[in-house]
Amino acid sequence: MSEARAHEPHAMEAAVSHEDAVVGNEIVRHKLSSRLIHWAVALFFFGAMFSGLPVWSPVFGWMANIFGGLQVCRWLHAWLGVAFAVSSLAMFIQWFRVMQFDKSDKKFSLKFYVSFSDDEDPDVGRYNGGQKFYFYAAFLGAVALLASGIILWWPTSFAIPWRWAAVILHDVSFIAFFAAMAGHVYLSTIFEPGTFESMTRGTVTKDWARTHHPRWYRQVTGQATSKDKEL
Amino acid sequence: MTNGWVDIKNADVVLVMGGNPAENHPCGFKWAIEAKKTRNAKIVSVDPRFTRTSAVADIYAPIRPGTDIAFLNGIMRHAVATGRFHEEYVKIHTNAPYIISEKFSFNEGLFAGYNAEKQEYDKTQWAYEADPKTKAYSVDHTLQHPRCVFQLFKKHIDRYTPEMVEKICGTPKDQFLKVADMVTSTGNAKRVGTVLYALGWTQHSVGVQMIRGAAMLQLLLGNVGRPGGGVNALRGHSNIQGATDMAGTFEILPGYLQTPRAELVDLKTYLEKVPPKTLNDEAWASMNYWQNYPKFMVSLLKAMYGKAATKENDFGYEWLPKVDGNYSWMYIYDDMYRGSSTRAGGTEPAPEGFITFGMNPVGIGPNTPKTLAALAKLKWLVVGENYEIETATFWDSKKTEKYGGLPSAQIQTEVYQLPCAGFAEKDGTFTNSARWLQWKWKAVDPPGNAKTDQEVLARIFLAVRDLYKAEGGALPEAVLNASWAYTNPASPDLGEVLKETSGKALADIPDPKDPTKILVKAGEQLSGFGQLQADGSTMCGNWLHSGVYTQAGNIAQKRDNADPTGLGMFHNWSFAWPANRRVMYNRASADAEGKPWDPTRPGISWNGEKWVGDVPDMKPDAPPGQFGAFIMNAEGVGRIFAPALADGPMPEHYEAIEAATDNILHPKVTSNPVSKKFKSDKDLYGKKEDFPIICTTYRLTELYHYWTEHTAALNQLQPGFFIEIPEALAKEKGIENGGRAKVTSARGSIEGVAMVTKRLRGLMVDGKPLWHIGFPIHWGYQDDPKHAGPLANFLTPTAMDPNTWTPEFKTFLVKLEKGSGDGTPRT
Amino acid sequence: MALQGLEIRQSSAGLRGTHTGIRNLPIVSKYIDTTICIGCKACEVACQEWNDLPLAQTEQVGTYQTMPETQSNYWNLIKFREVEPVEGFAWLMRKDQCMHCSDPGCLAACPAPGAIVQYQNGIVDVDPERCIGCGLCESGCPFDIPRYTVGSNKMAKCTLCVDRVEVGLEPACVKACPTGCLQFGDKSALLEMAAHRVGQLKADGFVNASVYDPPGVGGTGVITILKHGDHPEWYGLPKDPHVPTAVSFWKKILHPIGFISMAAVLVGLAGHFMAFGPKKPKDFSGDTGDNKKDGAA
Repeated sequence: MSEARAHEPHAMEAAVSHEDAVVGNEIVRHKLSSRLIHWAVALFFFGAMFSGLPVWSPVFGWMANIFGGLQVCRWLHAWLGVAFAVSSLAMFIQWFRVMQFDKSDKKFSLKFYVSFSDDEDPDVGRYNGGQKFYFYAAFLGAVALLASGIILWWPTSFAIPWRWAAVILHDVSFIAFFAAMAGHVYLSTIFEPGTFESMTRGTVTKDWARTHHPRWYRQVTGQATSKDKEL
Repeated sequence: MTNGWVDIKNADVVLVMGGNPAENHPCGFKWAIEAKKTRNAKIVSVDPRFTRTSAVADIYAPIRPGTDIAFLNGIMRHAVATGRFHEEYVKIHTNAPYIISEKFSFNEGLFAGYNAEKQEYDKTQWAYEADPKTKAYSVDHTLQHPRCVFQLFKKHIDRYTPEMVEKICGTPKDQFLKVADMVTSTGNAKRVGTVLYALGWTQHSVGVQMIRGAAMLQLLLGNVGRPGGGVNALRGHSNIQGATDMAGTFEILPGYLQTPRAELVDLKTYLEKVPPKTLNDEAWASMNYWQNYPKFMVSLLKAMYGKAATKENDFGYEWLPKVDGNYSWMYIYDDMYRGSSTRAGGTEPAPEGFITFGMNPVGIGPNTPKTLAALAKLKWLVVGENYEIETATFWDSKKTEKYGGLPSAQIQTEVYQLPCAGFAEKDGTFTNSARWLQWKWKAVDPPGNAKTDQEVLARIFLAVRDLYKAEGGALPEAVLNASWAYTNPASPDLGEVLKETSGKALADIPDPKDPTKILVKAGEQLSGFGQLQADGSTMCGNWLHSGVYTQAGNIAQKRDNADPTGLGMFHNWSFAWPANRRVMYNRASADAEGKPWDPTRPGISWNGEKWVGDVPDMKPDAPPGQFGAFIMNAEGVGRIFAPALADGPMPEHYEAIEAATDNILHPKVTSNPVSKKFKSDKDLYGKKEDFPIICTTYRLTELYHYWTEHTAALNQLQPGFFIEIPEALAKEKGIENGGRAKVTSARGSIEGVAMVTKRLRGLMVDGKPLWHIGFPIHWGYQDDPKHAGPLANFLTPTAMDPNTWTPEFKTFLVKLEKGSGDGTPRT
Repeated sequence: MALQGLEIRQSSAGLRGTHTGIRNLPIVSKYIDTTICIGCKACEVACQEWNDLPLAQTEQVGTYQTMPETQSNYWNLIKFREVEPVEGFAWLMRKDQCMHCSDPGCLAACPAPGAIVQYQNGIVDVDPERCIGCGLCESGCPFDIPRYTVGSNKMAKCTLCVDRVEVGLEPACVKACPTGCLQFGDKSALLEMAAHRVGQLKADGFVNASVYDPPGVGGTGVITILKHGDHPEWYGLPKDPHVPTAVSFWKKILHPIGFISMAAVLVGLAGHFMAFGPKKPKDFSGDTGDNKKDGAA
């Protein structure tokens, strides 16, 4: 442990910009900018959610108090939504290359993933198929929320049928987004200990990487096989 | 109105023709609606346009503008041909049995006695024939005599078959018959129908004859004098009835007494010649109420000249102006424009100054270029108004150039605008169409230096009188002897004026039944015109209004809405002239025995001793049969044949002065032969070859005359001028709804937004299609620029009715084109 | 705005009913007899004047109608339509305004608690203080009535002059109507009057005359006599108005689905954790990192 504490500053420094750097027992998983964007998306999402839910249903009316009432929510939600959409776009640009599906993703099984906590597919790279799918789904959700949100923001500029569609789309996409987001938070916090640090410190332990993303582990530690390179 | 607004609720059929009360009299029209709701009455709308009245009518029939006489004659023919008229009523209450002079004839569109050079009739050729024995009227109660009114009338209208009506009016035969059946359904004792009309009849070169047609129709159907019946003029302004009662036009004095003419040299001559007389007073029992004329006239002179009016000086008759020409206002402008008066000989100079209050000559007169040119010849012009109206700025060529106005530099007229109070800024009375004098109280003070009309007039009068006192002048007596006994001479209290109008005793008036008793003490207000005297012991400013301010106070202020009759008479609500009578000629509401034709709607009835019900239009204790029902007519009955009007005793169809087609009844006499045209270079008349489309003008609910163009709240409701065009015609001309259209008459052209509509349709007239279009009148060059519109009367001709000299605004000829977009009117 | 003196029957976005059940107020209604409306627009101006609405900027575009539709500051508009029934021609005039539905779509769609209320007497009203200006009420109304005010972001519409009605006066438009085509009072009495008038019209040959009081929205607080009752669309009225399917679907189906799915997700995750979690990284501390294990898989 003392050793780990000794090299700790080095790992944090590397984590600012050197993704995949191996520093002692840690591997840099997310550079600072990625983490900032991620947290911006998260912050704006939660902001929008908490300011949007009281508009959605009076059950959540109390949430409006966080922002100073429903009147504030009406405009703040819209701007938080825009911020959420903009940061989502930034995240998309940041990550869409590494999120391209490859052959190994075909093997990905959500059922297997969530129910089997032991052996994972040795071909899982930096991101597994579920993460990639979630990435695209989240982006699509953001687009849907933004598009329907714009209609709801300026109601007078759109014909009534468009506004009906917008209400329903905004709701459906939110419900889907909420479910996905809840799963995401759960998986990356209590379900898989060690994951949350990748978004705070930016690093994961070698054991974590080797457990959940074996191919990525092999690649960053220089133990890649020719098959890894093909993928 | 012979009846009243509220009385319309008693009708079974409401014929609306020559009027559009839903739009122009919306508050009064509620009583037509009430009749519909409570009696299931039927509203019939006959109009060239499908109006908002037509929209709530049960039957609508289109009609070519100006052809209402043919339509009315057609209904009367239908009534006689099918027996759907009230024969008993006609026999006892009309002049149908009266025999007319042998000289009377009607040939090729002309009645007997026509003088082509003068364009006048010798009316003596239409006179009643005297009975050889009695020297009174010769009558045939079987209605069979070939020269009795009924037979002459029958022959006259016989040409107006439904087919002929369709040919002239363009009204499809089936629609005409629907109207005729509905209207004549009231030709009996059980049912009653009313006729509502307004400027859609008066503003024609045959306007008075259209109204005559309605009067005859109502007499034929037995609807005059009965609750729910009558001939009802819907007056256009809130107080136009009052204005007419108080000598609104040049030929009458207050109470419809005649303005003296030059040949009536003294009071004796005047009183001999003017009041109507029966053929033989001794042999003919007639109330002939005008036999009281001397009482009315002398009392009026006493009101005008006070103590200065004595028996010795003819009560000042000599000081009254005498007329020997036509001073109706189209003639006044003609005089001004030509620079000489129409007085006999035509040598008198034209007026050099002009005072105009509560009217807007530039807006309301036909042929705007002529009005503008006429005003430009004045030395001075005084405009008393609460807005700066078009007339006040007629000299501003920036505004008037497009209407043919002269360049400002060439106009020497000095214009004074006196700020006057609006109607809500002064008290006084309004006399409505129902002849009710209703007091109104001031709501707010006039703004700034604005003064009430009476104060402005009083100050002018006092200043002129001072000048007369100091310097003398022409006919000083008329000014110096005028009675001006008001508490505040500079601003007479209108209550005092009303007292003067109503009349008071100047000496004790003995009771005619018991000369030992005093009926009215000297100095007391009279209770009605029955107390007027011809010896100078009473004074009364207007005999018809007598009783409006009695010893009991100002009756015009009464507001008791109790209605014991259940017929909406409201005898304790304000004062209705004459004598607080709510239905005129109400003796005709009962049969020969004095029993009401319809006991559920009695006007008056004879109870064995006296007439009860409404205030009787009859000597209260004269038993049935003693006098005729129409006490204001010397002969005592209603006139189906009226030997009194300038253009014939019975209405005949004539085309408008600008005729859209030949007169198929008599091609040689197209238009009213008595209606004269003006002859100046500004009096231009169009021909059907050049101007093939008929145009009519009208008003809108949302706006009032030329006044509300200054009122933003109303401008928003009708934001600007428009021209209503039938769909098919618009298509032919390439005009789109909301686009621009240009209308040109012989006088000029105007442009505006086109309102392409199904509410106007072309009509087949004698086998040929004829189009008519129309536009409202409310705009001018002084309105809010955002809502500006052209002066409608720029296009209308100086044509008129020969009885009233009312301009023919409702039918003239134009051509229609797609508008260029600049919207500039052009001469 | 919500008036203390009036009992509230239902309120937008209310978690539980705001109905106190203390007072019993009769249902009121406005009565419009289009067959005797003369299109004079007195009601339009009366509405503006009583409610202190500003003058409208209008222009003549080829119609007698003041403007194309009601506005957030013009709540009462007579609509003029020229139609050609099988026989003849009709120029129909109908005063358009909030219909004060018994089941108000605006209230159903409104997300702001108490922004739209329905009083016990049936009047549907807006409380600008609580209105958040989302404009959803517009998409809930089958009559296209609520208007979103650009600038202040508040919804506005006819209030049936609730401030007058509360003190026993009729609405301003009714007061101004010269022909009596507008009436105000207890709905039950007005329905009787309407039935009588419809009977008259039927006897006059208008067999399709009817009272427009559409059941799709539970009846309206404005009942309208139509001569051509088989063609309400001629008057600019929907044939069978109801709260739009989208709004009902949203409120009645999507909302519960949302709640359930959100709860289900959370419960599911908790269950999942209990069943499978946590998925800790394996301890490779004894491993030299040679990848044996991986190769074996």
